[in-house]
Amino acid sequence: MEIKQTQHNDILLIEPSGRLDSVSSPALDQSIAASLAGNSRLVLDLRDLEYISSAGLRVLLGAAKKVKQLGGRLILCGLKPHIHEVFEISGFLSILDIQPDQAAALACISA
Amino acid sequence: MPSAEREFVLDNTLAQIPRFAEEIEAFCQLRGVAPADIYKINLALEELLTNIISYGFDDDRVHRIQVVLALQGEQFQVMLSDDGKPFDPLSEAGAAVLEGRLEDRPIGGLGVHLVRTLMDRLEYAHVDGHNRLTLHKRVRLQQAPGASSAQG
Repeated sequence: MEIKQTQHNDILLIEPSGRLDSVSSPALDQSIAASLAGNSRLVLDLRDLEYISSAGLRVLLGAAKKVKQLGGRLILCGLKPHIHEVFEISGFLSILDIQPDQAAALACISA
Repeated sequence: MPSAEREFVLDNTLAQIPRFAEEIEAFCQLRGVAPADIYKINLALEELLTNIISYGFDDDRVHRIQVVLALQGEQFQVMLSDDGKPFDPLSEAGAAVLEGRLEDRPIGGLGVHLVRTLMDRLEYAHVDGHNRLTLHKRVRLQQAPGASSAQG
């Protein structure tokens, strides 16, 4: 997995690609934890994410909880259909802020 | 009806899961299993292997985990066997929390729920000191890359 980070004013855009599994998820967890020290508005674009398992879902849920405690905002976007299905099975669609693509997510978080 | 079987032996380290996932993908792709089903099979296997490797063993020794894939027509079957602590994920794993507010959702507990939802049927047995878990799923088959209409 690779994790690309870009700062857009006070919004941090995080773009993980490849596999988010039990081996790679600690890296994303650390990356998000480090980002939260300076940012509480995050957009996580998953368009290049090919695979997620419960280890990856755990990191995303943990991030959403921390951002909420900080009074910030986390928006996810770009979910491929099979990843969207895993979110649905896990009951994540009702608790996470999900937008179709990066443009919509940035517009939403800037509003 | 075309059939294929392949056996893998893994040791109890998480680091080999990505490479193993590539092997599963290659086995399935060659036989024309639809990508959406390959994803589900890989996800189920990762969840179960992660549980076995993370919680199954109390000692620091290397343990062997046997995985047998079998595809007969559209019926896909995976058998996992390990010599860890007896553990039936079907009866012992707690129910996943799928509703309620963000603050109330526990971190974790989704793995077995995903496996149950994505597979058609699971069977557990403890045989000769080994956990034996068998997954069954009917998969969609596409034209396999190796198959050509000229060969019938």
